[in-house]
Amino acid sequence: MSDKCVTPLPIPAHAGIGLRAEHYHEVIDTLPATAWLEVHSENYFGAGGAPLVYLEKARQHYPISLHGVGLSLGSSDELNLRHLQKLKALIERIEPGLVSEHLSWSSVDGRYLNDLLPLPYTEEALLHFTQRVQQAQEFLGRELLIENPSTYLQYTHSTIPEWEFLTEVANRCGCGILFDVNNLHVNATNHRFDALAYLHALPARKIREIHLAGFTVNRYTDGEILIDTHNARVADEVWALYRQAIEKFGAIPSLIEWDADLPPLPVLLDEARKADEILENAHAVIA
Amino acid sequence: MPSLRELQRAFSAGVFNELPAELAQHIRAGRFPGPQHFQIYRNNVCESLTNALKAVYPVVERLVGDGFFRYAADTFMRTHPLSSGNLHDFGDGFAEFLESFPPSQELVYLPDVARLEWAWHRSYHAADRAPLALKALAAIAPAQYADLKFMLHPSVQLVTSDYPVLRIWEVNQSAYAGDQSIDLGLGGVKLLVIRRQQVQIESLNEADYALLSACAAGATLAQAAEAALRIQSDYNLILALHRHASSGVFSDFSC
Repeated sequence: MSDKCVTPLPIPAHAGIGLRAEHYHEVIDTLPATAWLEVHSENYFGAGGAPLVYLEKARQHYPISLHGVGLSLGSSDELNLRHLQKLKALIERIEPGLVSEHLSWSSVDGRYLNDLLPLPYTEEALLHFTQRVQQAQEFLGRELLIENPSTYLQYTHSTIPEWEFLTEVANRCGCGILFDVNNLHVNATNHRFDALAYLHALPARKIREIHLAGFTVNRYTDGEILIDTHNARVADEVWALYRQAIEKFGAIPSLIEWDADLPPLPVLLDEARKADEILENAHAVIA
Repeated sequence: MPSLRELQRAFSAGVFNELPAELAQHIRAGRFPGPQHFQIYRNNVCESLTNALKAVYPVVERLVGDGFFRYAADTFMRTHPLSSGNLHDFGDGFAEFLESFPPSQELVYLPDVARLEWAWHRSYHAADRAPLALKALAAIAPAQYADLKFMLHPSVQLVTSDYPVLRIWEVNQSAYAGDQSIDLGLGGVKLLVIRRQQVQIESLNEADYALLSACAAGATLAQAAEAALRIQSDYNLILALHRHASSGVFSDFSC
């Protein structure tokens, strides 16, 4: 490869955007003013070809964060070493500033469902998940961030609040937390709990990154539910929660995530600008 | 209370089949009864796997339409479990699935169209490797030529069909604006799929196809040439090798 990465670039405490294939050309050609980029790790697990070429080009100009959706850390199967090996190779090639995964599972008995599925928040699951994160971190030789997932059901035998589960994982493994504000809003609405109480219970020193995205309201005859679709602008309620988060946690690298019905690049940059305005206030307060 | 493993097995079974009662009783009733909450996951998994399949097989989708494609995808995902967390692996075997899928039996060319799209997909994600440098070949003594084994570039895929699948593929590209007619009587094709700057599909004559297929199977040049000459007695091996080497079809050779 001619485009060799030079040094790992840390992810700055500004807004970044998700880089998706539809925007490869425009991002490489116009180098828009965004502080960093995030990609889905698995999209670059191919042996070669265009995706890796574009990512390496982008890496010449921006710090990159790798966000995984397929490691299935919460699965009761053995950790997938083939998957981890691919992730490790990608990390060595791209030298990302951050590497993240989800508090969820995706596979059992070797069968993958390609979705982030909810864990029961039990002592058994906590012990299991903690061991898996430790194993993955040891294999990769670096810190992982774990993201709070969007969930559409709750188990009757869950005994630990999600924020406490996530905090325990972070404390026991020494991993960081990727706090997805949209997921919190979606879950708090769907499961009728107080989003602010959750937010204030999170450990500030563990929050390394924030995600912002849009959701969809699915309406049925007997009620409605929010689905974390990443296909729209960030909702007002989520911006309000985000302000509270930045007030509590300080300036944290914040990502605009958009995966479906991808808009023109300027729309993403406009959302990132809004996040940056809120971050600027935090920077000003700290200064 | 189910163990984590029991719960995950029941969850997976519930997504692809009926929701097991032992899982249903552990889903809390919230805005809706528990099974309705679970239904969201059934929908999400089905939608995301269907979309993944559509991304690899856009021409098949255009040929059969959204409703038919969804029905085929729904059956395929139940019978062909995804065995990795890398979505690029999903869709392998769709052509063979369509071959035996009763509703598509009349579309005799459909499996081969799917085969071509899978070849395109594999080519797109194949490893990067420099094409064979012609001057490396110049250093070999002519007496050794017969025993050389030529390796195809990692992005090369060979496709054969009894139907004009390249024409079908071209007409069904979203940017295509020309004549829509397809004459199935045009007959079969031998195709080379290769990634240069972009993935390209090229027609091969029967003899070239025989030569490259033999190379792909690990034959020596003498054996590959024999395969080509069986089809075309005046096959010009030297010209053919030069043509394929200079267009990046080979990445290496071994003595």
